[in-house]
Amino acid sequence: MSTVLDQIEQQIARLSSKAVKKNTGHIRSIADGVAKIDGLSDVMYNEMVQFPGGAIGIALNLEEDEVGCVILGDISQLKEGDEVQTTGRLLSVPVGKALLGRVVDALGNPVDGKGPIAANETNPVEKIAPGIIVRKSVSQPLLTGIMAIDSMIPIGRGQRELIIGDRGTGKTTITIDTIINQAKINKVGLASGDPKFRPVYSIYVAIGQKNSNIVRTMAALESAGALEYTIIVAAPAADNPANQYLAPYSGAAMGEWFMENGMDALIVYDDLSKHAVAYRQISLVLKRPSGREAYPGDVFYLHSRLLERAARLDGKGSLTALPIIETLAGDVSAYIPTNVISITDGQIFLETDLFNQGIRPAVSVGLSVSRVGSSAQIKATKQVGGKLKGELAQFRELAAFAQFGSDLDAKTKAQLERGGRIVELFKQPAFNPIPIELQVAVLWAMQKNYFDPIETKKIVAAASSMKEFFTTRKDALLTKIRSKAALDADLESELKTACDEWKTTFTV
Amino acid sequence: MASRNKQIQQLSRQYFRLSFVDGAITPERVGGVLEYMEKHRPAHAAAILKAYHRLVAAEIARSQAIVEHAGSISAGAIDAIASSMTRKYGRTVTAVSRKNDTLLAGIRVRVGDDTYESSVASQLATLAASV
Repeated sequence: MSTVLDQIEQQIARLSSKAVKKNTGHIRSIADGVAKIDGLSDVMYNEMVQFPGGAIGIALNLEEDEVGCVILGDISQLKEGDEVQTTGRLLSVPVGKALLGRVVDALGNPVDGKGPIAANETNPVEKIAPGIIVRKSVSQPLLTGIMAIDSMIPIGRGQRELIIGDRGTGKTTITIDTIINQAKINKVGLASGDPKFRPVYSIYVAIGQKNSNIVRTMAALESAGALEYTIIVAAPAADNPANQYLAPYSGAAMGEWFMENGMDALIVYDDLSKHAVAYRQISLVLKRPSGREAYPGDVFYLHSRLLERAARLDGKGSLTALPIIETLAGDVSAYIPTNVISITDGQIFLETDLFNQGIRPAVSVGLSVSRVGSSAQIKATKQVGGKLKGELAQFRELAAFAQFGSDLDAKTKAQLERGGRIVELFKQPAFNPIPIELQVAVLWAMQKNYFDPIETKKIVAAASSMKEFFTTRKDALLTKIRSKAALDADLESELKTACDEWKTTFTV
Repeated sequence: MASRNKQIQQLSRQYFRLSFVDGAITPERVGGVLEYMEKHRPAHAAAILKAYHRLVAAEIARSQAIVEHAGSISAGAIDAIASSMTRKYGRTVTAVSRKNDTLLAGIRVRVGDDTYESSVASQLATLAASV
């Protein structure tokens, strides 16, 4: 028997002493988070390379006699002549539901101090976007809870909708509202036990932001009970540009897991302007030729390959992308804004002037568009808000024209007053998304002229009074609107009764 | 700066190509190139020589197997490694032996960028990384 054991042990010894082949190189120079390496003749584009001390890098520049690598991690211990070796693997990040409620860095490592993440799977950070055959057209709504958006610029599951505007116009707030609204819908839907209900999980990618802002976002999500359905990928301003460059792709890999496994996910890239700046920095250090505004030639591909990964898959789930772009002085014709506008399926343009006038969210109706259109709206919203965009655009035109003359006919005056009321009605405080059934009720009341006797400056108070009235006293009606998702004669008569009742309670 | 680097790279590659006879670098040709450079000294000669040195060193490393070993190794084993590498790479590879006690036991063979590791030190490092 001992002979048999000896044989097995010899076999193990032979196996364990088998030579391992490695492809190696040596650091020729290292600066600004980028290393130039001699050797590594077998390295592939985007392959992970192993540096001494556990740091990893990504091979981005493959030249005739050297390789340019961006290094992720601590570079202070690395020096010229250090040995580097290929790994034969693409950079991967942990994926799955274990990441929900956590804050991770660009490599998927937890940074929230809540201990290790028990993720069983990993996905490559870079992945080819789904092709034509596997896709399905966008037709299911993704409700933001923002009345102006849900009624006029609807977003569908699997859509890419750009949020663009100057600094401090409320871009991040819109996305946080959307995430909070998904969490609220998830809670109601999961509690209802409806087998057809599909929750939406959110991924918020913070690129080049201040750490204090990331903490504020996290706190807002936590206090709204939305963090448990959200993954935050943080690559703050203090992080090296390589991590800032990678973070959106890591977030996309996490979102794709939900999509591939028959679930719906929402991903927010906050923001892609800073992402482009981080990539420009890497490219310039790698000595790649620079083009317009010193961005490298492939800056369009940088964003197109990222945003194309958002899709609705046939028989599977969806990944909706809300990229954010920050403009300078409202210039949407700059290089990066025009690129991303052309890639996405529409944009929500936020205006500084509107914001300063107190119109929040400061959505510019004229410049905002959703190319998916009403196919991503529920029937009830279409019924009450179908003509809103046209009415509001007409109002803006008339308002501009009315500035030049004081003598206006009655019809114009009425149109102006109605437009003013709609604008007031769409005002909404931050982090306070409105359920779609409540939006439908309020818009129905507006459509049926219930707000006409009320002074324009008191519309906000009237609207919040109506919302409170419906929430506290007409919950059954709201549930009916939510479940039917369309207004029939019965519902309309119930709405009429409720609105008449509210009218008696509300004092101007 | 960029165009200067490009010129250095181009010229060093040109000298490198001139150093070959029948697909192999010969000392005579390298000597000839160095002599030519001495006579017709180009601008940035030191930088060009460094780049040329790097290219020649990489080429020599591709046809030389450096066999590092912790214990003793027979001449027959060295020859066997050389012939095995010659077959594998499809070019003449000579073997040079070097003692390296940090390997603890076993051998490490380097041919160009490729390293074949079969040492206790490397196995311990792999084990430490996986713990």
